[in-house]
Amino acid sequence: MRLGYVLAVFAKEWRDLLSNRLLLGAVAFPALVFAAIPTGLVAFIQAHDLDPNQMGQIQQYIANFPNIPAKLAAQGFIVTNFMAYFLLIPAMVPMAIATQSVIGEKVARSLEPQLATPMEVPELLAGKTIAAALPAVTATWGVFVGYGLINGAIADPRLTRFVFSDVWLTAMATLVPLICLFSVLLGIVVSSRVGDPRTAQQIGGFVVLPIIAVAVAQFFGGQATFNMQQVLIGDLLVGGLIGLTLLIGSWAFDRESILTRLA
Amino acid sequence: MIVVDGLRKDFKKLTAVHDMSFTVGDGEIFGLLGPNGAGKTTTVRMLAGLISPTAGRATVNGHALGEGSQRIRAITGILTESPGLHEKLTARQNLAYYGRLYGMRGSQLRKAVDRYLGVVEMSEHADRRVIGFSKGMRQKVAIARALLHEPEVIYLDEPTSGLDPSAAKTVRDFVATLRSLGRSIVVCTHNLDEAERLCDRIGIMRGTLLRVDTPAGLRRHGREATVRIELNGARGPESFVDLMASLPFVTGAQVQPGALLVELADPPHETPDLVNSLVGAGARITSVREESATLEEVYLQLVGEIGERDVDR
Repeated sequence: MRLGYVLAVFAKEWRDLLSNRLLLGAVAFPALVFAAIPTGLVAFIQAHDLDPNQMGQIQQYIANFPNIPAKLAAQGFIVTNFMAYFLLIPAMVPMAIATQSVIGEKVARSLEPQLATPMEVPELLAGKTIAAALPAVTATWGVFVGYGLINGAIADPRLTRFVFSDVWLTAMATLVPLICLFSVLLGIVVSSRVGDPRTAQQIGGFVVLPIIAVAVAQFFGGQATFNMQQVLIGDLLVGGLIGLTLLIGSWAFDRESILTRLA
Repeated sequence: MIVVDGLRKDFKKLTAVHDMSFTVGDGEIFGLLGPNGAGKTTTVRMLAGLISPTAGRATVNGHALGEGSQRIRAITGILTESPGLHEKLTARQNLAYYGRLYGMRGSQLRKAVDRYLGVVEMSEHADRRVIGFSKGMRQKVAIARALLHEPEVIYLDEPTSGLDPSAAKTVRDFVATLRSLGRSIVVCTHNLDEAERLCDRIGIMRGTLLRVDTPAGLRRHGREATVRIELNGARGPESFVDLMASLPFVTGAQVQPGALLVELADPPHETPDLVNSLVGAGARITSVREESATLEEVYLQLVGEIGERDVDR
């Protein structure tokens, strides 16, 4: 793998992405929404005294935070519970970028001239993968850091520690890039079978469903956040899915298959 | 130099190309003519190291297809059937991207981009996004892209498609310049007129090469060459019929009003003798010209598709 080729493709894709305001909005908007809702709730709780009746309704969740004031426990629950949705960003955004990129090339018939250069196919795909994954990883990490710091600043510094827990730092370092990679690969494979980005994203949408299911189950199960074991199982699961996608889409690394299927 | 020996390509049960054998010398423009689906693009894709042949061998400037494919791609410039540009990028950014993929960097890259934007007369549009370009402008940028890295071997698929006559001439002239620089050039086209003007030799193909010859050689294909001699004066053409019958190199003669149509096996060598004989017999000749089939007639005869509509002439 020659870095010069990967960087050339990455730079081209990045330039392409920066010119696509709609896609940029798709990167930034969900991340900001997922962070803004809980932060708003934390700020609301901070500004108002808690109603004991409302406290009763969330009592089971607050039990996750023993030995701290009920108000902080409620804020801690909200802050940590919403973090599962951060995993939606690496699932959704890279797929949107990858499908746009691959189908865009398909429509413009620009893959053949690139494949006619000395660049090898894995170098082309690596450049595309990094370009598709980097905005999502950056957005997720950026929002994660901002989320922890802002909630700590507007309410209680202990909220920052809840956010930057070992479990979530591990999830950010491992699970987020893995989900991004899976999302991109799935986007490439699905794009080969359909003609427009919207259909590809709809088909690829099932990546998002398990994450939503986990977040909802977590909420109704009364569990405030993941534990390390769940994160590591998630890593293995997504790693397995990446392997499976590579197996199914192994043709995607063959120049001739790309030419006959995509170009 | 391109040497092709028995090249074949199967796509599952479909044989796209078989028994392809030809050579293209340094400084030669070789035309591939054929109807849609004749295998021109498949042939070029194999020779450009994009797809592997099912059977057969080929070398491009000494590099064999297969193990040498990456090296072949490095020394090859290809103009694909569709320009295939990145629409959100400017013309300059498109060329710079491909320059980097061909290993060019820094001032070498900048100079090459500027030079080829100039060659295709696109300098003033260099910093405009391709998305706003006409078909002809896109074609020009794609041509610049194919030539940017000074390739030793060049494949051009319909190089003047979408270009106005002036731009088409510029491109043809530039391709002729590349020939004089010793490059091996393969031109795929439906445009018979262009093939005739541009190519040193033409291969007519339909799944395989049906015939390879110079444009003049192809025009003479399958028939005796006919020389038309226009006469003026008191003695009409019918008075020379006996003379024609007595000349050993004349294989046939017809009389037309004011003209003789004489069939010869080798017009370049036999026409002067024919003219001498006629003048010696008192003929007053006003013009002599060789009449041969058009390339279109030969093409249609070879591919067996007279009346087909996809011949773009």
